[in-house]
Amino acid sequence: MFKSFRRDELGFQLLINAFLLIVLLAIVIPLWRVIMTSFTPLDVYMKGGTPMFQLPWQWSLGAYEQLLTHPTFPRATLNSIIITLGGTALSLFLTIPLSYALSTRTLPGRRIIIALILFTFLFHVGLIPTYLLVAKTLGWSNNFLAVIVPPAVGVTNVLVMMRFFEGIPDEIKESARIDGANDLQVLWSIVLPLSKPIILTIGLFYAVYYWNEFFSPMLYLNDQNLQTLPVLLRSILIGQNFSEYVDVDVSQAASIESLKSAAVLLTMLPMVLVYPWIQRYFTKGTLLGGVKE
Amino acid sequence: MSKKIVLHLVLIALTFALLTACAAPTPEPVKPTVPPASSSSSVASSAPASSSSSVAPTAVPPTVAPTATTPKPTNTPEKAVDLEIWLIPTSSQAPAPADNWIGYKTIKDKLNINLKYVALPTGADGETKLNAAAAANALPDFFETVSTTSERNKLIDLNKQGLVAPVDSLLPMMPTRVKTHYNDPSSFTLANIDGKQMGFVEKPNLPRREGLVIRKDWLDKLGLKMPTTVDELIAVAKAFTTQDPDGNGKNDTYGIGGFFDGSWGGGQRFAFIWGAYGVPDLWNWGDPANFGLSVRTPEFRQALEKFRAINDAKIIDPDWATINRDEFRIRWPQGRYGIMWEDFSALSSPANYAKFDVNFPTGEWVPVPALKGGSGKNYLAAYGSVGIFTAVSKKSMDAGKGPAIAKLLEWMASPEGYYLLGFGVEGVNYKLDKDGVVTTEGLSDPKLAWTDASQQANTQMRNQLIYINDPKEVQARYPSSASKNGRTISQMAFYQFFSTQPWLDSIPGQLILKPSNQADLQRYYNENFQAFALGTKPLNDQTWADFLKGLDANVNAAKWEADTKKLLQDAGVLKK
Amino acid sequence: MSQSIAKPGRGMTPAPDHPLAHRARRLALTLWRHRWLYLLLVPPLIYYLVFRYIPIYNAQIAFKDFFALKGVEGSPWVGFQHFETFFKSFYFNELIFNTIIFSSAKLVLGLPIAIILAIAIHESRFLFFRSLVQTMTYLPHFLSWVIMLGLLLALLSPSSGMINDAIKAVGGNPIPFLTSPAWFRQVVVGSDIWKDTGWSTILYLAALLGINPDLYEAAEVDGASRWRRIWHISLPGIIPVVVLVTLLRLGNILDAGFNQIFVLYSVPVYSVGDIIDTWVYRSGVLDFQFSLATAVGLFKGVIGLVLILVANQVAKRVAQQSLF
Repeated sequence: MFKSFRRDELGFQLLINAFLLIVLLAIVIPLWRVIMTSFTPLDVYMKGGTPMFQLPWQWSLGAYEQLLTHPTFPRATLNSIIITLGGTALSLFLTIPLSYALSTRTLPGRRIIIALILFTFLFHVGLIPTYLLVAKTLGWSNNFLAVIVPPAVGVTNVLVMMRFFEGIPDEIKESARIDGANDLQVLWSIVLPLSKPIILTIGLFYAVYYWNEFFSPMLYLNDQNLQTLPVLLRSILIGQNFSEYVDVDVSQAASIESLKSAAVLLTMLPMVLVYPWIQRYFTKGTLLGGVKE
Repeated sequence: MSKKIVLHLVLIALTFALLTACAAPTPEPVKPTVPPASSSSSVASSAPASSSSSVAPTAVPPTVAPTATTPKPTNTPEKAVDLEIWLIPTSSQAPAPADNWIGYKTIKDKLNINLKYVALPTGADGETKLNAAAAANALPDFFETVSTTSERNKLIDLNKQGLVAPVDSLLPMMPTRVKTHYNDPSSFTLANIDGKQMGFVEKPNLPRREGLVIRKDWLDKLGLKMPTTVDELIAVAKAFTTQDPDGNGKNDTYGIGGFFDGSWGGGQRFAFIWGAYGVPDLWNWGDPANFGLSVRTPEFRQALEKFRAINDAKIIDPDWATINRDEFRIRWPQGRYGIMWEDFSALSSPANYAKFDVNFPTGEWVPVPALKGGSGKNYLAAYGSVGIFTAVSKKSMDAGKGPAIAKLLEWMASPEGYYLLGFGVEGVNYKLDKDGVVTTEGLSDPKLAWTDASQQANTQMRNQLIYINDPKEVQARYPSSASKNGRTISQMAFYQFFSTQPWLDSIPGQLILKPSNQADLQRYYNENFQAFALGTKPLNDQTWADFLKGLDANVNAAKWEADTKKLLQDAGVLKK
Repeated sequence: MSQSIAKPGRGMTPAPDHPLAHRARRLALTLWRHRWLYLLLVPPLIYYLVFRYIPIYNAQIAFKDFFALKGVEGSPWVGFQHFETFFKSFYFNELIFNTIIFSSAKLVLGLPIAIILAIAIHESRFLFFRSLVQTMTYLPHFLSWVIMLGLLLALLSPSSGMINDAIKAVGGNPIPFLTSPAWFRQVVVGSDIWKDTGWSTILYLAALLGINPDLYEAAEVDGASRWRRIWHISLPGIIPVVVLVTLLRLGNILDAGFNQIFVLYSVPVYSVGDIIDTWVYRSGVLDFQFSLATAVGLFKGVIGLVLILVANQVAKRVAQQSLF
């Protein structure tokens, strides 16, 4: 491997990778502590917090057990999955056409539409005006639609995707047009195949948003059967903090800090599993795969 | 390849849009625009109360005298009444009752009510949820007027918006409950607004249940006596911090520990210092002739000087200003503190004490009598809590559901409702011993005991609507346990001690309304207070005078005082 | 735009000499040519109309005394009363100042770090290592601030934190990082950068991957070193995204990260830590002052709009990039 480096290359690589190593350590060490906390047995934690080092057979699964055996945990997870998949699909369904249309520089009215969209981005009017629309006018109380639809299109995502579409050389699109293709066919047969990385990236952003969304499920969903995972975990994360008088302590198997850490890690897990899968598409030059100037 | 992806995504989008629209229960049909002040703009989607009509005024109960336990309903229902109630659950970490909960079934069978219980999230989230529902005129039938600051103020605000209904007409329908739950006029009238009873004030969760405790084993080890004054406490705390009272060779203990609970000044955890000087509360209740903010009294400043000295001497955990309740309740069982303020059950319940006991089997906490500070009256602290405030939404009352709500509340006060919602099923979740006290001994499956974590979902309303704090019940709720080395840890002993200390009654403080610039006033007050306490600002006559001047000049405290004084005089609490 | 040869009969007949008619014809042509795009725009624009513009309509309660029973239309007007409540706050100047300081610091410090990290990951030749770094660094984004508080306490607490233990070990006085106005801002900005830098790099990496590899090869053939290649190819390649993100963040400059501040702040650091949103939280959200919260939201929007317009012009001139 080293043979393939030139001399100046070697110095460069050393510097770069040393930097990456420092960053990696700075990230991993605290993360490791969170993971360790989630596995710390109750009596060890009560002795003095998370120990510096624990052998695997000293780990306690108490926190995870308590969370996973929580009666509403399976249903909450399912609900979160439904909302995430549905939301991501809807978001992409709306974002891709919007970004593509707005990336066409010759489209009359393009700038006006962008301005109108940007305007809504700035004036995020807050809780009550949106709630009045969703719960009162549309009647979507206690309905997943209230969680999925209102945030479906994120302006940042639209603009980013737009930039990428603009970056596809006009010549490719023009050559298709000369062959008789209209805008729709250009989108379908030319632009989309070239846009895998950006679609996956934006899709990931949406998915993460929906998966972690706690506020609107808390606000709009009343039925416990509709409750999502973040709401459940938040009640565990901060619920006890407000209860001065908790006569029966539900966290009997693990310290509250272990529970919190385990809850956060469980929420993180799907993203950790999904992202490497998407990373496969992030290889050099995929955006313009095979197209030469 | 990505064409396929897009196609799939489109199909998924459509599928899930359909799925979600079907998966959720049918939303209530709501008229898009709100008609001006007409009685009800939406009706529950399933069977309405059979006596309802959309223009019915507040349901008037019949003059039939209700029977002892179940009052006669105003109508002969063929269809069950749907009631939705929103309350903070007793145990926020446990779920709400499952659909097949025996409570739901019993209520359906006995009372012909389809009850839906929604557990509100604790803290500001629950309040936000309630506020939003109020803004959309979509409050549930019966609910707690959740607030992180004052539930009474919330009820008043809801009343101003016209969203809650008077419940005077319902009280005759619940004679048992009125006798057991609403039998304290001084607190019940707090929900009386302009002569009408606009809601209920439920029983408080055991009054005066917190206090000051100290590590007796540390006192003994260092040969110290129980402190009786603030100065003695400081001396003891110094010793606790510097003389390694736990004998582990490490300098890892603090004399005092606590946390700021977000209220005023140093919060309830340190109010005992001000109590020693006779001014434990924000308001100077102990001196009605000169009623005002306690901060203006010389005693207040004396207490603050002591607290500052405690911080200066570094005999208190300096994180008190940052940490929250959770973190505090991790730290004290780790054996860090010698003196602290704690709730009796958080200290000594079997589950909570075990966390401390496991590492400190010889550790022993004993309560401290109210300290003396100045020469005047001293208190342990101020007591101003009442139970939760609950209300009936105007929409619900107009739809004629009032009697059903009364029926439900009355049943909850009956023996059947009391035991089922308070403890569970006899023989399964609890047993009654020979004195009629609830116990968990002798149950065939101890995992089903009502105190077990798995059973919490079935008694989520017990602290809010069920318990009445009578001696037998209290005994059942707070059993004693044995520590690792065989000592008896008696919750009731702590409770007896705490509740019989001198407390300043500040319940009339519930009447006080927030000033219009509450956030700024509280910030100014707290910011300066904590700067004085932590030593980031010098404390002398000049700076103190500047602070008091600033209270009036910058955040209008004098106006709030004047308004409050007038309000209390009009309410008859203060003499004119 | 070339003549549409594909559509015979249009545009071949000589247009009348009147310029307006000429332009109208060309416009009609273009509209027809892009008719499918307009169709594609319909669902998203309906979304915007309903879910963004109707709430903006509802936001008129910022100028009203909102009564739930009267609804948005029926509530009485009070003009700028709620705005005045906000402006007249004793702490108004401080709130604005703190908010802007936090946003700016996070932007100015966080952006270069994210870019450098993205470039470093992109340039590293150790594929496994760089995948590892990429995967690990984005994880903290998912930690809630409640957990972060625990981490920060474990690190910074004057009584039991690791850093202060080290300080005490060498005989120094423990520093109360979280409760000291001298340190709080650094803690906030630093922990935010730690938490979100990895996540930000995802976007910049995607941008870097979009750069034509031929450009690199050509430069290498011409003898350019790695550094020059980064400077002349990589950086310009991600400038569009950087400018975009920066402009958008400027538009939101008055959102300084409520969740983080709310969890981390405490009374002793109000003077440097209290931001607009925490003030609104304490005054507006929890009381029945819905209108106040909405009014402040509108205020933030106006400021953000002005900033974006200004920044857009600057970006046009400096980087030839703009939002519109």
